Amino acid sequence: MSHANLLAPPSSIPPPTALSLSQKAPLILSSSPTSSLPWPLSLLFSRESPESWTIHENLLLSSLRTGDDKAARQILDRLTTRFGAANERVVALRGIYEEALATTPAELEKVFQGYEKILREDPTNLAVRKRRVAVLKSLGRPADAITALTVLLEHSPTDLEAWAELGELYAAQGLWSQAIFCLEEVLLVLPNAWSAHAQLATLYYLSTPSSLSTLSLSLRYFCRSIELNDSYLRGYYGLKLASQKLIPLLSDSTSVKRNNNPEEEEAGPPPKLATVKKLEELATSKLAEIVRQYGAGNKGWAGLDEAEVIAARALLDRDGKMER
Amino acid sequence: MAFLGATLNTVGLIFLTHAVYSTHEHTATFPHAPLPLDITIELLVSILVLSAGIVLTSPSLKPIEWARWSGKLQREGRHGEGKWTREGEEILSEGDPYAFLGLDGGIGGKGEGRMGFWDVRGKRKEYAEWARSGGKN
Repeated sequence: MSHANLLAPPSSIPPPTALSLSQKAPLILSSSPTSSLPWPLSLLFSRESPESWTIHENLLLSSLRTGDDKAARQILDRLTTRFGAANERVVALRGIYEEALATTPAELEKVFQGYEKILREDPTNLAVRKRRVAVLKSLGRPADAITALTVLLEHSPTDLEAWAELGELYAAQGLWSQAIFCLEEVLLVLPNAWSAHAQLATLYYLSTPSSLSTLSLSLRYFCRSIELNDSYLRGYYGLKLASQKLIPLLSDSTSVKRNNNPEEEEAGPPPKLATVKKLEELATSKLAEIVRQYGAGNKGWAGLDEAEVIAARALLDRDGKMER
Repeated sequence: MAFLGATLNTVGLIFLTHAVYSTHEHTATFPHAPLPLDITIELLVSILVLSAGIVLTSPSLKPIEWARWSGKLQREGRHGEGKWTREGEEILSEGDPYAFLGLDGGIGGKGEGRMGFWDVRGKRKEYAEWARSGGKN
């Protein structure tokens, strides 16, 4: 299902797809979308559409990935002549180009200094601020990247992409409560984002020390994510894992006893054992349906991620063996 | 279905035009006589046929419930709808509106949703390794 489309590339691009994307470069570079006629006529006979520039941008990124730097340079020049060298987006794309061409850490450091210089002139350039964070990450300095991101978010607290990135960085460091805070910020603006609910649930599930309250919060967020998306494989998968962990904890009566831990208070009363068992059954049956429909090659189910379906099948198989 | 709809639309439009023209001619020749029955019937039939054609050619409705709508997006993925740009790229159907958060890959996943933070060097290295290993899988 990894269809190579430059207008809407898939959310994760494996190398073969990247190759077929960048192989479209000669075709797209052969004809310019802008008209060479003088001003009033160029408006009438222009071939450009909003889509052409999305395609150019995605082509630039995929040719940089495959090492086709000549084509990348040509596309970058085209974007620069069309939108001007001072355009925020073009500045960031030029930065990506320079980052890709830097071979040693010293050269990358130079690109980083270039970003600092741009930001001294225009501190509001968000695209360059984000590139700066990406370079810090690439240099292996996650602590500095986190500091840079917190500065960015102080000035632009509704930038959800940055909140999500910060959550990811914190999670990579094992700072679970900070990561959870970041995802909660995302949910404040996008309460309907099923992927954010599932991510938050995953963070609760992974957070250490794992306790009854974190697991029941995880269960609740997974439930919310499937309430928002009735075929969300990740939601059902997580729901099954979380409820499998919760069932023994809840059956053991000593751990259910309420203590006055403030964290437990925040999580509310733990779910009932019968409810969790029902949820586990629901998740199992839904996962089985997804695996079956995908395996049968049903056209209405072809959009699912193959790796995810394989993982779900493995989980169901493991579960079946345990019961036998 | 699309062909049937287009045929109904064409037929309906022809009859509607004919009926309107006939009405005009009739009132121009006999200003005070009532409209003959056949013109009235033609007008009504043409409007019915045209309405049926418009309903048949309209795109299918989206699910109203949020969970069903998002579930449909998830199950079916993005697929082409028979439209291409000048560059030869197919215009795809609606995709996940929250893809820009880049949370699909999970924690430490390979998702590239957050384009502002795109790790060009990491991806370049990944591709180079793939190419060196013979470009399999």
